[in-house]
Amino acid sequence: MQSISALKAGARGRGLLILAAAALAWAAGGFSSRRYVSPFPPPSEMRVPAVGATGDMMALALGARRLFADLWFIRLMQYYGTREFSGEEESESAGHNHEAEEHYGEGKYPLFLPMARHVLEVDPAFTAAGLYGAASLAFNMKRGDEATELLNYALKYNPRGRSGATQFSEDRWKYLTMLAAVGYSKSGNPVAVAEAIAPILKDPDCPVMLKQLAAFLNKKAGNYAAAAVIYADIAATSRDEAYVKNARRELEKLAGIKRQGPARGASR
Amino acid sequence: MRNLLIIRAVAFNSFVESVRNRFFTLFAVFAFTAVYASVLAGVMAVDQEARVLADFGLALIELTALAYSLFAASSTLLREAETKTIYLVFSRPVPRWAYLAGKLCGALLTAGLMLVVMAAMHLSLLAFRGFGLPAFYAWALAGTFLKLAVIISFAFFVSLFSTSAVSTLVIASIMWTLGHFASEARFLAERAPGIQGAVLTAFLWLIPNLQLFNARDAAGAASPLGLAVLFPAAAWVAASCLGALWLLSRKEF
Repeated sequence: MQSISALKAGARGRGLLILAAAALAWAAGGFSSRRYVSPFPPPSEMRVPAVGATGDMMALALGARRLFADLWFIRLMQYYGTREFSGEEESESAGHNHEAEEHYGEGKYPLFLPMARHVLEVDPAFTAAGLYGAASLAFNMKRGDEATELLNYALKYNPRGRSGATQFSEDRWKYLTMLAAVGYSKSGNPVAVAEAIAPILKDPDCPVMLKQLAAFLNKKAGNYAAAAVIYADIAATSRDEAYVKNARRELEKLAGIKRQGPARGASR
Repeated sequence: MRNLLIIRAVAFNSFVESVRNRFFTLFAVFAFTAVYASVLAGVMAVDQEARVLADFGLALIELTALAYSLFAASSTLLREAETKTIYLVFSRPVPRWAYLAGKLCGALLTAGLMLVVMAAMHLSLLAFRGFGLPAFYAWALAGTFLKLAVIISFAFFVSLFSTSAVSTLVIASIMWTLGHFASEARFLAERAPGIQGAVLTAFLWLIPNLQLFNARDAAGAASPLGLAVLFPAAAWVAASCLGALWLLSRKEF
C-alpha cells in the first residue's frame, strides 16, 4: 500500500517537473522573440477605409499582408482605370484624339492618394505600387504635393530603407529619384523629368505607365532614339495589351520619322 | 536506440494514415483548384501578375496545409482513444513521450509533404505563365513550415484536454490569429497606461509571435527569415510537447 502511494507521489513529482519545463520552454520562446521588430508601419499609421476594414483585419490575422496589398493595388488600378467623363471632356477628347497620350490618366480621382497610401500601409515593401501611385499623381493628375506626401511615406516605412537593413539603398534610390522628378515636374521642366526618371526605367519595379511617360517626354523633346528604346522595351516586356499596342504604334511612327529624316522629324 | 525505432514506427504509421485519409485527397484537389484560380487574379494585376500569382499561391498553400494539419492534429489522439488503439499501444513497452514524439513527427512529415506537393503545383503554374522562381520562395515555405510546427504541437496539447476535435480546432485557430497579431498587440501594450499595459504585456507571453516566421510577408525586408528564429520555434514546439506529455501522463490507459 505504501509503495503504491510512493509511486503515485513520484509520478506527481515527475509530472510537475514536466509542467515546469513546459512553462520554462514557452517563456524561453517568448523571451527570445522579444527583440523582434516588425518591418511594418505601426497600427496607428493605418488609415483603414470603411470598405476595406474586414480585408485589413484578415490581412493581419492570417499574416497575408502582401496578398491583401495586391488586392488593394488591383482596386487602385481599377479605380484609376475607370475614366471620369464629363460632357465637356467628352466633346473635347472627340476632337483631339491625337492628344490622347498627352492627357492619359488625367482626372480628379479624389480617392487616389488614400488608396495608394493604403497599399503601402499594408505592405510598405511594395515599391512598384509606390512608384505607380506617385507617378500617376505627379505627372498625370498634376498633384505634385500629394505625390511628394506618398513618396515621403514610402521612404519612411520601406523596410529596405530602415537603419540596420543590409540592402539600405536598394529601393530608397528609386523613391529619391522619383522625388527629384516630381520636383522638376512642379517647376515645369519635362526634359529634366525624363532625365531624372531614366535610371528607374530599367528596374523591374518600374511601372509601365512611368515608362510610357518617359517615352512620351523624350519624344516631345525630340529625343526620338531614347523614346524608341523605351517603347521597344514596353512592347517586349509589358503584359498590358493597351500599352503594348500603343508602344508598337509609336514605334511605327518613330520609324516613319526616322525614314523622313531628322530635320523634318524634329519639326513635328 | 529502441525508443528511436518506436518513434520512427509511430511517425511512419501516422504519416501513412494521413496520406491514405480521403481528406488529404480532398485538400490536394482544393489546393490545386485554388492555386489555379489565382491565375485569374494574376491576370487582373497586369504588370504585377508575377507578384500576385506568387502571393496568392503561397497564401493558399499555407492556409490549406494549416487546415489539414490542424484537422489531423486535433483528431488523431482523440480518435485513437475512441477506437481504443491507444490502449493497445500502451499495453506494449512504448514510452508515452516516444508515442507523442512519433505522432508529432508524423504530423510534421505530412505537413512537409503537403507543402512540397502544393509548391510543386504552384511553381508549375508560375512556369506555365512564363515566370521563374520568386526570390523569397524557399524562405516563405520554410517560414510556413515553422509556423505549422508551432501550431500543430499546440493543437496536440489542446486536444488532450479539450472535449472535442472542433473545440481544439477553434482554440488552435484563435492562437494562429493571435500569433499573427502579436506585433500589433505589443505596440498597443507599450502604449497602454498602468495596469492595463502590464496585463496585456503578461498576456503576450502566452502567445507565440508567428510574425517571426512570416517570411511570406517580410519578402521585401533585407532578411526574410534569419537562423535566430529557429530557437523560439523549437522552444514553443518543445513547450507544447512537454505540456502534452504532462497531460498524457495523467491519463490512465
